[in-house]
Amino acid sequence: MTALVEASELAVGYGGPPVLTDVTFSVDPGERVAVLGPNGGGKTTLFRALLGELRPTAGTLAVQGRAASVPQTERSRLDFPVSALDVALMGTIPARAWWRRPRRADRAAARAALARVGLEDRAERGYGELSGGQRQRVLIARALVQDTRVLLLDEPFTGLDAPSAERLEALLAELAGEGRAILIATHDLEQARRWDRVLCLNGRQLAFGDPAAVLTPEVLGATYGAAIVTLPGEDAAGPHHAILPPHHHHHDHAPPR
Amino acid sequence: MSAATAAPALATSALHALTDPFAQTLMQRALLEVLLLAAVGGTLGCWIVLGGLSYGAESLAHGMFPGLVLAALAGVPLLLGGAAGILVAALAVGVATRSGRSGLGRPGRIGRDDATAVVVTTLFGLGALLALSPAAPLGVQTLLFGDVLGTTPGDLLAGAALVAAVLVALWLAHPRLLAAGFDRPAARGLGISPALVDALLLTLLALAVLVAVQGLGNLLAVAVLVAPAAAARLLTRRLAPMMALAVLLGALAGLGGLYLSYYASVAAGAAIALLLVGVYLVARVVAASGIRKGPAVPAG
Amino acid sequence: MLVGETMLEPFQLLFVQRALLELLLLAVLSGTLGCWIVLRGLAFPVHGAAAAAFPGLVLADGLGFAATLGGFGAALLFALAVGRLGAGGREAEGHGTLTALVLVAALATGILLASDVFHSAASVESLLFGSLLAIGPADVRLAAAVAAIALLGSWLLGTRWLATGFDRDAARSLGVRSALPDVALLVLVALAAVSVLSAVGALLATAVLVVPAATTRLLTDRIPTWQLATAALAAVEGTLGVWLAVELNAPPGATIAVVSGTAFAATAIAQAVAPRPRTST
Repeated sequence: MTALVEASELAVGYGGPPVLTDVTFSVDPGERVAVLGPNGGGKTTLFRALLGELRPTAGTLAVQGRAASVPQTERSRLDFPVSALDVALMGTIPARAWWRRPRRADRAAARAALARVGLEDRAERGYGELSGGQRQRVLIARALVQDTRVLLLDEPFTGLDAPSAERLEALLAELAGEGRAILIATHDLEQARRWDRVLCLNGRQLAFGDPAAVLTPEVLGATYGAAIVTLPGEDAAGPHHAILPPHHHHHDHAPPR
Repeated sequence: MSAATAAPALATSALHALTDPFAQTLMQRALLEVLLLAAVGGTLGCWIVLGGLSYGAESLAHGMFPGLVLAALAGVPLLLGGAAGILVAALAVGVATRSGRSGLGRPGRIGRDDATAVVVTTLFGLGALLALSPAAPLGVQTLLFGDVLGTTPGDLLAGAALVAAVLVALWLAHPRLLAAGFDRPAARGLGISPALVDALLLTLLALAVLVAVQGLGNLLAVAVLVAPAAAARLLTRRLAPMMALAVLLGALAGLGGLYLSYYASVAAGAAIALLLVGVYLVARVVAASGIRKGPAVPAG
Repeated sequence: MLVGETMLEPFQLLFVQRALLELLLLAVLSGTLGCWIVLRGLAFPVHGAAAAAFPGLVLADGLGFAATLGGFGAALLFALAVGRLGAGGREAEGHGTLTALVLVAALATGILLASDVFHSAASVESLLFGSLLAIGPADVRLAAAVAAIALLGSWLLGTRWLATGFDRDAARSLGVRSALPDVALLVLVALAAVSVLSAVGALLATAVLVVPAATTRLLTDRIPTWQLATAALAAVEGTLGVWLAVELNAPPGATIAVVSGTAFAATAIAQAVAPRPRTST
């Protein structure tokens, strides 16, 4: 079975020196790969390269067909006058000639994708009116509509409550079962432990392989620097670690008045 | 006159009041011009407002002033002068913005807005220089404030062609405009080039400004491109109704302005502009006080 | 030298001398305030305040009260309405729409009043583009007063304007009560806009108050140097502009605008072409 994603000695940059180097990994159909690394360490860069937005500055990168991505939810505009269906429909753009308007088949596919993530009765709601978890699912639907064999998810579990996270895990398992290759950027080491492969990036590739082999203190330390904590309790797989929550968001640090 | 005959008589005179102005050819043409403006202002205006391009629209309109003056002086159709003027203005703003950034290696030493202000003021001054010199014949005020009652069939034809082009382009590009406006980085992943989308919008904006300048003049054109859409945005939640409402509001304001100019003998362009802004202000009040249109985010 | 004498002829005319005096005072104003306008991203509010003054002037003209008062009232209203100053002056979209439309309304009101109410359409051009060579002593006095106030304001409040502009939240936590100095700045902006009206008109205020500061900004960023250079540049541009206007029989306000714009373009191009050594950060 040929790999759906294959990278060899890959280096990617934005015009200057490459910001990500020495990337060599492959993903077979049905595999879920956790992509670990600090913000700015190259996860987004890799995803952009997989989407075809960036050309490799060195090495090779092969993707079977296209990749569809589910970006972080906060980046899309909440004030935009679009419904959930409108957003899901955006996924039909790549497959359509530029002069064509969405046809009935496109709309049906968008609705089906929304149904798959459990939002069929929210299709006409405004995107900005949905909860964070629901918005997340709409973006997933947008990716599903594209029906690609490779899926990229950028920190999809951030801010999800337990039931939503479970639902997402189940969906990812389903999608993997359909023979897709899924790369998930995450900071949750327990999740990474449960999936098929782990890829650690921090300016360059630090490790790729089975979770047991990769999720060691040495590798994690090299990936995240000082932001690792060891949790009490051990199991057969060894001590548990966690990454201190990264500082995504800008907080207002002014003293409250 | 008994009560039974009063009502129909009232209705008849009201009807006359509404239709009398448009018995004249020049008012008919003005009406068509106004409808064209409403069509392009309502539709493209939504993208201008959603994309934060109001300031850019105004700058383009002001920046093309010397082009208009030169065309008027040379006896060349204003459309050509306007088009050239817009090109020059857009280029100049681009260069000024870049130079502001490249100064001494620190980005944004002169903000983009300031660079735009510099360019626009200079171009405007250039236009005034050309227009006000004693050698020039000129209706500077016509260029500045529009001449909707002086719409010629040629103006209507050109305007209709431009508006049609804009509407067709918007129709075709709608899905990509929507995707790029909603989530610019993700749009790249969908195979859309945000840079191309920007270029398209700016081009369409330039075309729309060319049409608007004829009716409303350089200084007031931005009103029809921004006010109806901004008002509609405050009152609707989806793009299709927003566009429809914007076109309607623009048409109503335009119509009202024409009536005012006919019955109150005031400058038509200025009256239309004031009504357009008035519509926006009313929408703001309605939105702030009445139904809360904003998204209600449920828990979970 | 005969050529030299001919060149200097315009400067012997009384109205030219008065125009030059006005411009020198405005140059001081431009130097002092222009830098704060650019630093705090206030170019558009300046333009808006000046344009907003237009209907006020028409009204004052028509009803016969002091033009300055009418203009200032309108300008101040606009400046205060617009002036929610954020750090760097970046405006949210809703903000930009409102101010653009208020500006349009002001201009439309002005032309309506001028052409249909007061029938003073003839003076519209001079209100919009200035009448520098018809300046009276009152205008000069106004310019002097505003320049003095601007100097005082910059001296007293400069540090606060700088702190708030740099980082509004941090400034607040440093104890700078940011409301009052900012309001003062806006009032000054409105005053400045009104004081340049007689010289360059309601539509070209930024040519005097913003363009010189933006030009010198390309060359320096230390505030005292920047202010001095701007004042000098504005003075030179003004003088050159007036001379050209008299020689070519062109509208002086517009001429000055073109001169200052050309200076900006020249500086920008020179900079792009001749790279300066990068200052290490």
